[in-house]
Amino acid sequence: MTSDRVLVAMSGGVDSSVAAGLLVEQGYDVVGATMKLFCHGEDVPDRLCCSLDSVNDARRVCEQLGIPHYVLNLESRFGHDVVDNFVDEYARGRTPIPCVRCNTFTKFRDFLKKADAIDARWIATGHYARVVDRELHRGVDENKDQTYFLWGIDRAVLSRLILPVGGLDKAQTRSRAHAMGLEVIAEKPESQEICFVPDGDYALILEQRLPADAPALSRGPIITSSGAVVGEHNGFARYTIGQRRGVPGGYAHPMYVIAIHPEQRAVVIGPRDELLGSGIVAREVNWLADAPRVGDNMSVRVRHRAPLARAEIVRLDSDEIELALDEPVSAITPGQSVAFYDGGRLMGGGFIEASRPKRAALPVLAA
Amino acid sequence: MTPAPNPVYLDHAATTPVRQEVFEAMKPFYGPSFGNPSSTHRWGREARAALDEARERVGRCLGARPDEICFTSGGTEGDNLAILGAWRALKAQGRTAVVTTPIEHKAILGAVHQATREGAEERMLAMTADGVVDLASFEELVDDAVAVCSIMWVNNEIGSIQPIPTLAAKAKQRGALMHTDAVQAFGKIPIDAQKQHFDFLTISGHKFGAPKGIGALFIRRGTPLEPLMHGGTQDRGRRPGTENVAAAVGLARAAELTLAECEAHCARLRKLRDKLEAGILARVPDAVIHGRGAERAPHIVNVSVPGTDSESLLMALDLRGIAASGGSACQSGSISPSHVLTAIGVRPDLASAAIRMSLGSLTTDECIDRVTEVFPALVAKARQFATAEQS
Repeated sequence: MTSDRVLVAMSGGVDSSVAAGLLVEQGYDVVGATMKLFCHGEDVPDRLCCSLDSVNDARRVCEQLGIPHYVLNLESRFGHDVVDNFVDEYARGRTPIPCVRCNTFTKFRDFLKKADAIDARWIATGHYARVVDRELHRGVDENKDQTYFLWGIDRAVLSRLILPVGGLDKAQTRSRAHAMGLEVIAEKPESQEICFVPDGDYALILEQRLPADAPALSRGPIITSSGAVVGEHNGFARYTIGQRRGVPGGYAHPMYVIAIHPEQRAVVIGPRDELLGSGIVAREVNWLADAPRVGDNMSVRVRHRAPLARAEIVRLDSDEIELALDEPVSAITPGQSVAFYDGGRLMGGGFIEASRPKRAALPVLAA
Repeated sequence: MTPAPNPVYLDHAATTPVRQEVFEAMKPFYGPSFGNPSSTHRWGREARAALDEARERVGRCLGARPDEICFTSGGTEGDNLAILGAWRALKAQGRTAVVTTPIEHKAILGAVHQATREGAEERMLAMTADGVVDLASFEELVDDAVAVCSIMWVNNEIGSIQPIPTLAAKAKQRGALMHTDAVQAFGKIPIDAQKQHFDFLTISGHKFGAPKGIGALFIRRGTPLEPLMHGGTQDRGRRPGTENVAAAVGLARAAELTLAECEAHCARLRKLRDKLEAGILARVPDAVIHGRGAERAPHIVNVSVPGTDSESLLMALDLRGIAASGGSACQSGSISPSHVLTAIGVRPDLASAAIRMSLGSLTTDECIDRVTEVFPALVAKARQFATAEQS
């Protein structure tokens, strides 16, 4: 193996561009690659490449850095692992988190295979997170930290992963971009939206891919937690737990979506305190550290940028975990992720299966 | 960066370097001989003389009269002009069908799709597994409703040769116009417009030592054609716009050189091609060489190795200094499985593993030696990962 070759995933944005530039400065044999993940072109598949502008930006950056650039077509795998799942999850009344699955399957699995093919010892991305002694830690910039999306990657990947901007804050990254002469991308705005959802309108994707009479997109009742029907909605997939928009008004307190019951096509609403959960059940659990034991405490995060909450492990199987929260947490949403932390270190995570209204007592240690 | 010791260019079907003689021939027209051939003064006359001469010389290379040569910007324009120009000119006469093959270059398929948007009926010929037109299908589809039939002479991905003289004669009997995209055929196959019955033939300069941006469309005298562009009367109104004199002169020079060397060059390429194929098959016995059962042009080898993918192999080859190509590249540069291989029934896993190596003036014995050493090694590595993944 060429010990110092690194394949950098380049989106055309400032973070991955600076990541590549830093690696060049550090003397690595850097190869840039942009993953083409989706295409909204209609009859002629190659006609309209939605990622074209990003690809062009990434290519310009690589030209400036003097490194080769390739485009990797991961459309079919991404479509299967990420987009299909995204649609299925909404159809089941859940709120998916495609960026986690993209990291798990696309960026840190499929992309790694491309690195193997070109004898690259390392892969790198522009994520705000840090690899320290084969452990994954939060990025220096707490505001930009992206570890919440990285819990699902294979632990073995950490021994081949470099995250060059994890030690910078966003302002430093931008100033490095200027210093490297990468004016094309240095002031590019942040992309916060889901990359394959045009104009942030995820319902459009669902309408394209689900049958017209799919329950998730059909009319159903809006109910309260006591079961009273208080309105009608146009498809539960258009609602997310914690949402206020589209919820009937006229109550003493603001009302929120607190649950979705797909089998009754019902959207359940309630006041803010009904959003609170004291326990979390999560599945598809993955560990980036040695698995803890029942009774151990961890910090957990149920949304990107949500405050960390203390929790105790009350049940732990190979694939599933149940956590009891010290303090209730708002809007624990099935389909989203829960990430586990020990201080600054990301321990692992899972997909939220259910929120428990009451704190579960430890069966053995109950006192 | 690890610069490879001896870069190997095996992508001559994509483009070729401009020949020194061609460059020299063009130089005066980027210097003192800069005139516009439509001008009446001495500068204009000088440019006009060079253009007329270039037209005669290109005509001679194709067995055509000078007025049958229309200079274009290259293959895509020639193909579009022939298909859309012929269809638009003939649709009023009740000939509404356009016949082509599914293995054409995208320039043909795109032009045919445009014709269908304008009301044409598209008819796709069936292909054999080796990438040759199925004659029964041709007999069935080419009837008196056909305006134009377009079949490429040499396929750009697998090199298979179509029996154009035979097909053109049959098309003529049925009153259909015959176009052939000869972009990969020129210099590899004898072309003679006097003896062969095609009505249109496209060539592209940069495939044989002329610069990019110049080509020619042969248009048989008296063939109906609507121009694509409108404006001046250059090229009898078929292709308005000030002519690219320098490039036309370059095209003429390159065409003459190519034909003069044709026999020796093809023999050399055939030998190298056979050595390359034998070298790969000796080390990778289950490699599949596409179109091998067909009569093939000597410069194209298209090989798939089971258990590999083109994208990774092309990257790995490039990083070792070997330039080859894959299926159809889209705007972004990402590779999709080739429509040509899919159309001739190649299994999807093999289609997405295809690597095209195309030989030409830069190819030497040493190049082939290096590729037959590096390619099998990369293949072995790719397969080792594929196996590790399955277990």
